[in-house]
Amino acid sequence: MSAEFNINDLQQKYLELETLLDLTNELNSFDQISILLQEILVKSCGVLNASSGLILIEDENSDVLHIGADFNVDISVLKGLIFNKRKGIISEINETRKALNIQLEGDSFLSKTGCKYGLIAPLLDKKNLVGIVILFDKESRQGLSPFQESDANMLSAIATQASVAYNNIKLIENIKEAKTFNDNVMQSIVTGVFTTNLMGEINHINRAATNIINLNREEVIGNHYEYVFESNEYINQLISKCELETITISESQILLDCNGKSTTVNISVSPLLNDSNEPIGSVVAMEDLSNLDKLKSTFKKYVSKQIVDQLLENEDMLNLGGQEQDATILFSDIRGFTAMSEKMTPNEVVETLNDYFNLMIEIIFKYNGTLDKIIGDALMVIYGAPNATDRDTENAVLTAIEMQEKLIEFNQNRIINLKEPIKIGIGINRGKVISGNIGSKQQMNFTVIGDSVNLASRLCSVAASDEIIVSDAVWKKIRLNKIFKSKKLNPVKVKGKAKPIDIREILYYRPPFNYNLAYSKIENYLVNNLPQNYTYHTIEHIRDVVDQVEKIAKREKIEKELIADLKLAAWLHDIGYIWEPNRHEARGVEYATAILNEMKFPKSKISLIAGMIMATKIPQSPKNHFEEIICDADLDYLGREDYDKNSDSLLQEIRINREITNKEWLEIQESFLLKHHYHTGSSKKLRNKNKNIILKKIQDKIKSYKNGTSRT
Amino acid sequence: MSDFIKSTKESNGIIIIETEGYLNNVGGEAISAIVYEKITSGNTKFLINMAGTKIVNSIGVSILIEIIEKLQEVNGKIGYYNLAPIVAKTFNIMGLTKYSTVYDSEENAINGF
Repeated sequence: MSAEFNINDLQQKYLELETLLDLTNELNSFDQISILLQEILVKSCGVLNASSGLILIEDENSDVLHIGADFNVDISVLKGLIFNKRKGIISEINETRKALNIQLEGDSFLSKTGCKYGLIAPLLDKKNLVGIVILFDKESRQGLSPFQESDANMLSAIATQASVAYNNIKLIENIKEAKTFNDNVMQSIVTGVFTTNLMGEINHINRAATNIINLNREEVIGNHYEYVFESNEYINQLISKCELETITISESQILLDCNGKSTTVNISVSPLLNDSNEPIGSVVAMEDLSNLDKLKSTFKKYVSKQIVDQLLENEDMLNLGGQEQDATILFSDIRGFTAMSEKMTPNEVVETLNDYFNLMIEIIFKYNGTLDKIIGDALMVIYGAPNATDRDTENAVLTAIEMQEKLIEFNQNRIINLKEPIKIGIGINRGKVISGNIGSKQQMNFTVIGDSVNLASRLCSVAASDEIIVSDAVWKKIRLNKIFKSKKLNPVKVKGKAKPIDIREILYYRPPFNYNLAYSKIENYLVNNLPQNYTYHTIEHIRDVVDQVEKIAKREKIEKELIADLKLAAWLHDIGYIWEPNRHEARGVEYATAILNEMKFPKSKISLIAGMIMATKIPQSPKNHFEEIICDADLDYLGREDYDKNSDSLLQEIRINREITNKEWLEIQESFLLKHHYHTGSSKKLRNKNKNIILKKIQDKIKSYKNGTSRT
Repeated sequence: MSDFIKSTKESNGIIIIETEGYLNNVGGEAISAIVYEKITSGNTKFLINMAGTKIVNSIGVSILIEIIEKLQEVNGKIGYYNLAPIVAKTFNIMGLTKYSTVYDSEENAINGF
């Protein structure tokens, strides 16, 4: 009977195989490493009759193992021990990668368990040791015994299966971790990102993207991008192009219209590729520019782009507080603006100041100045704060010079438009200032304060119209630069300073009368102001006269400089039509005299221009060669191919004020052509022949009227 | 009482032993100690509630077989219930189920005796 119950080797082997098979099947069903390790250990102990066991498992990024599972072991005795891969029995396993039977004695850490025998097998990830399985004390009915070689083989087999399962779980955990990480990154970044699959369906979208396109995640996921972006054909085209050509496309400043919300974005569409470089969809990144744009546009009204970018990069600059530093301060002020503004309507005052400030602030930012304040009609500008450069003072003076130069052009336009010119004085000083964000937390301003600032303001008061006055400190900083020239002025006594201050006037190039600028401004003025119902005295006629003046003058061998005056007269010869058509020549002369005087045009030349304008009055009465040229230019068309077209335009214009029959018009033309003659030799030569042909045609038409054969 | 024996009780003349932990040499010896003691007191019917035992080794099984041999001498009987699948499978492979019965519940076990 007892023989029947003996556990024979066959049963044991059968149990071992079954256990191994079970483990193989079961291990892949675990999704937590701790549970997997416990299961491996318990089953290994069971099948190999071990009394207890441990699994030591790797620590991430170190050579030290820790207890991953224990069975029937008092692990408190192992507390504080370091299980180093590179030392002792673990190192041996690490090298051999094979199961090992050992007797636990001496100072092996395993002997602290109180066990006598051990069986250790490695858990491997490819060739790397990721852990070890240790079984203690093989049990038998005779007591504890060492493990056998067959036990080692069995444990190796289990450990191999366990390694696969362990690595699978680690892989899944890593993937989950990576996914969670990616999801967290995706959700936290401010750039809107979504991905599409091969079908064009959106399969991932982050919070920023849902905000940009103004839809819930649920409304987007699973839908085709063309459906989601149905109001944004351009976006669909970009994604489609990316899909078809497998290329990355980036576009800036795209206006997205999503469900009633318009947002400007920078967009980038890239193909998503698998490991084989085959496209599996697209990833779309959208940078919402609305907030940045708002911030920048607000800031840019006050400071240059450079300062805006610095502030956006370094928020600490926004903290309240100050620091002492050297800075250059520029003050400018419009001379006599109060008196000037009294003659203007409030709207005109605002319009004038806006035009003026727009021009000036553009120059200030060009030279990296920070617009500190606009005080009425005055400007305060800082150079060198918050960030100092070697060119701060130079930039301040260059700003002042360009302000004065640009103002000349600005004023030329104002003068031509019959507006009073603006004159400014500028003062610049350099010295120690306290700079920082000064104010309350609710409203703070970056500014500079101190004695040096006050002195800059005083220098501005000293400066006369068109002048740039700088302190000695400024001049010392820039004097080595040959582009700057200055004139030493008498020291001045300024408020707050006991001693007179050494000052200099910066000399700058004041360009002579700019003909081309004047032409374009006058042309612009004519375009905007000539009566709209005129069909002959139009901008086209004036342009034609200017053109003919130049041509005739060249044929008449007039000097280039004088041709400029002829053209100026041509531009102005009919300007009086704006105000008084009946005496337009006289009115034009009044206007020309006024604006040319204001523009410092030489007085002798003003009378020349006036004479040319008056000479065009019918009947023409030129008194000199220049007047002859403009007279011939004004009526040049009388001998040209386009006579009929001009004649028709003139008839149409005359008919605005009075009835006139075609026959009468023919008689007027005949009379005019008979009385008219060209004055210059070149025009006579060039136009007389054709003029006579035209006259003959008109006379023929008149005859046909008299004969009653005219059809009109 | 060893840590492995969680409790013992008697029901309808059957000694019910509740175990917890590894049914190995130590666990097996703990069961046999109680069974042998109860045999001397005249008990011959034993049931083991193995709900708390999730693992068993062949030594534990061999001790159970020794217990069965002993009980056969006194016309006794042993049965088990609440077995974990792996424990049931081991009992089966090791031939234990040829000489003793595995029940699915305490009630069926008591009625089956």
